[in-house]
Amino acid sequence: MKRLRWLALVGVLALVAAACGDTTGDDGTTTTAGDTTETAAAPAETTTTVDAGTPFEGLVLDSGGCERDLGYTDDDGEPVLYGGKVDTLTALDELTVEFVLCKSDPAFLAEIAFSVFGIQPAEHLEATGGAPIDNPIGTGPYSLNAWNRGDSIVLDANQDYWGQVPAHDTLVIKWATESASRLLELQAGTADGITFPGVADLPVIEADESLELIDKPEPNIFYIGMTVTHPPFDNEMVRQAVAIGIDRQRIVDTFYPEGSETADFFTPCTLTNACEGEKWYDFDVDAAQALLAEAGFADGFDTVIRYRQVDRGYLPTPADVAADIQAQLKDNLNITATIEEVESSQFIDESNAGLYDGLHLLGWTGDYPHVTNFMDGHLGKTVTQFGEPFDDIAGPLDEAASIADTAEAAPFYEQANNGLRQHVPLIPISHSGAFFAAQAGIDGAHATPWGHVQLNLWDNGEDTLVFFQNAEPGSLYCADETDGESLRVCGQVVEALYGYTTSGEVVPGLATECAPNDDLTVWTCSLRAGVTFHDGSAFDANDVIVSYTAGLDASSPLHTGVTGSWVYYDYIFGGLINPPEPAE
Amino acid sequence: MTISRKGAIEKLEAEAGDVNRLYEKPVGQWRLAMRRFRGRRSGMAGLFIVLALVGMALFAPLIAPYEPNEILIGKEDVTRRDPPCIHVLGCPEDTPQHIMGLDGNVRDVFSRIVYGARVSLTLGIFTVTLALLVGSTIGAISGYAGGWFDNILMRVMDVILGFPSLLLAIAIVAVLGPGLRNALLAIAIVTLPGYARVMRAQVLAIKESDYVSASRALGSSTRQILLRRVIPNALTPLVVLGTLGVATAILEAAGLSFLGLGAQPPTAEWGSMLARERNQVFTSPHLVFFPGLAIMLTVLGFNLMGDGLRDALDPTLNR
Repeated sequence: MKRLRWLALVGVLALVAAACGDTTGDDGTTTTAGDTTETAAAPAETTTTVDAGTPFEGLVLDSGGCERDLGYTDDDGEPVLYGGKVDTLTALDELTVEFVLCKSDPAFLAEIAFSVFGIQPAEHLEATGGAPIDNPIGTGPYSLNAWNRGDSIVLDANQDYWGQVPAHDTLVIKWATESASRLLELQAGTADGITFPGVADLPVIEADESLELIDKPEPNIFYIGMTVTHPPFDNEMVRQAVAIGIDRQRIVDTFYPEGSETADFFTPCTLTNACEGEKWYDFDVDAAQALLAEAGFADGFDTVIRYRQVDRGYLPTPADVAADIQAQLKDNLNITATIEEVESSQFIDESNAGLYDGLHLLGWTGDYPHVTNFMDGHLGKTVTQFGEPFDDIAGPLDEAASIADTAEAAPFYEQANNGLRQHVPLIPISHSGAFFAAQAGIDGAHATPWGHVQLNLWDNGEDTLVFFQNAEPGSLYCADETDGESLRVCGQVVEALYGYTTSGEVVPGLATECAPNDDLTVWTCSLRAGVTFHDGSAFDANDVIVSYTAGLDASSPLHTGVTGSWVYYDYIFGGLINPPEPAE
Repeated sequence: MTISRKGAIEKLEAEAGDVNRLYEKPVGQWRLAMRRFRGRRSGMAGLFIVLALVGMALFAPLIAPYEPNEILIGKEDVTRRDPPCIHVLGCPEDTPQHIMGLDGNVRDVFSRIVYGARVSLTLGIFTVTLALLVGSTIGAISGYAGGWFDNILMRVMDVILGFPSLLLAIAIVAVLGPGLRNALLAIAIVTLPGYARVMRAQVLAIKESDYVSASRALGSSTRQILLRRVIPNALTPLVVLGTLGVATAILEAAGLSFLGLGAQPPTAEWGSMLARERNQVFTSPHLVFFPGLAIMLTVLGFNLMGDGLRDALDPTLNR
């Protein structure tokens, strides 16, 4: 009898172990987490159920292990391992999500506050095949009413919003590429606020009592990019010569508003660890010409300068700056450059893909307050904008990204900055002052250093608020967008787990708190209760898992997106889960 | 009736004068046309403007105080988009004189306007020449040959005419790539059907005339008839059309450059100058005013001259 009781106990324990340890995939396959880590090329299971006995079936996004062999080899014949940050992402219960990371991430909260990581209903993502390009559903202060292509986007105030409900019923976002047009709309009273007035218009706005110039204290960088796989920029000396032969101070003095400065480092020094290492080169024509001659281009060469005609804080007059760089290249280095204006979305896509064989003028406005946002996003191991990443830049950045102690991380950033100075895949030009403008007397009018402008806080005392930005969004599925025009609109509709205050502090959003463990590898997020999406469905932990799965898991059927590049998911999380084998 | 001796002498002299007039060398059609042209003030004003522009283009290095692409940062105490400074109009002597101001890249606008005349005139004249040569050849062959050949060629011309000219030019440049040469080609393509149709109409009328029939009866070949009899007599309306066409071509080229499809930076071209500074219309109006004025004057000049030529060459206006 006693023996039977023991057998029964062992049997019960075995059943419990099976229930807890086994995971069931959507396709009906059952795998164990331990199995996947040991099976070299097996794709990681991404959505499984746990706690099958409870009413809430929490989903899991599982990378299959931080060192999982992806099943193919690199150029040297070495097996490629998953190197991303996310190990697992689990819906522990209806209102709790756990991020288990492969390494410490001190910038985790700032990163997940970015509107790219906005949460949409799982059902909506599934219904749209992972591409809600023009019909986002979120929990934000506005819901999308209509996108009148070529004209405007109309948003309705979300009266059930958990935060501050907009004082107006309708928000209309319009666009005008010309800064003069935006200012005209403001002066005519047909716009309540505009983005980035032209530099020449700033004194006009300041002198007009009916208007208000709003300082946008955004950390940014304007740079000249070179994709180092295209000749002659595959020659490091050529890149260095161009870096030394361009008078950056002249560009800043001539084309930028007050408050702008020539960039000594790629990342603005207001961010911790941004300015470790040697400062950028001084302007020296003779040294540049000597370098170019040594590289075999004493007589210069022909190239192309590409840019997009979209005003940004970091590049307020793109055409003028392009023309000045063209003149400097000719005068200082005898390099004959033609100028090519490229449509904005195409420019972003092509430059991100490293397709440009000449120079391209681009910049960056910080998304979250951490040096990784600048450095890793441009020079990290997954970025191909400038060709193959440099090991002595990407390596230290990778190391530094997981170090919480800023003093401990400093030497790595020093190495990375010095590597950037040595290899010159880009030339940092300026950190610029930036502005918005609005009608005087609008309560709550602001421009944020981080994140998007929160238009629900603007009160013009009327039923409708009209805001003009620089261009039409490329899409409204911002998980797969990098363009600021898209992110600004998405940010009104979709929310992330964290967010920013108007002055840039990271604050809880859809999560009330994300608490880390001691080594910052496990973040447990408590979600806000009682929040509903614009379609009336309730927000829960599985929406978080599915939203992240769509962006992170390259093998997921929801990983469709807009262009399929998923730039932010890729670089912020150090690479996608189940990435496809790179094409030859 | 008796007449006085003096009266008889005067009558005889008058009759002799009439007879002598018969032996005078007849005044040529072109000379007559020029005489008529000189009598038209608007035409002469147009000619004056065009000649001034041609002079400006030819002597640009002597007229312009700076190179068109010379950036004056560090060379003079100036800032971008400085307004016009003319010393005789009260601008301080210690301020560098720039009679049309400076542009967004700190270049002298007057110098760029002067050099821009070279680009615009070259483009206008070459475009019209190309379109005229190709168009009139097509029209002449089509009109003279007639039949299915005429039908095919004219339907092709109709298709080209069916598109709005600037839109078609944009499409062509979009395919060929931006740049002055491609803009020239695109404008020539979109304008040649006009010349083809006018030439064809002329040929259709002339080929039935007696002197062409006579030439044919005397055994002249088709090529001889076309080159010696038909085309020379069909040129008059084409000359007028061509003159007016230069204005259109310059305007369309400026339009293409405004859209970024024509002249590329740093080329000083009026359309692209206008486009580059269009945002400054309220803060620095001189930057859009002067290129706009240059385009307007050029187009006006060619139009006035073309109208004058048309009046002068039109035989129905003979007095």
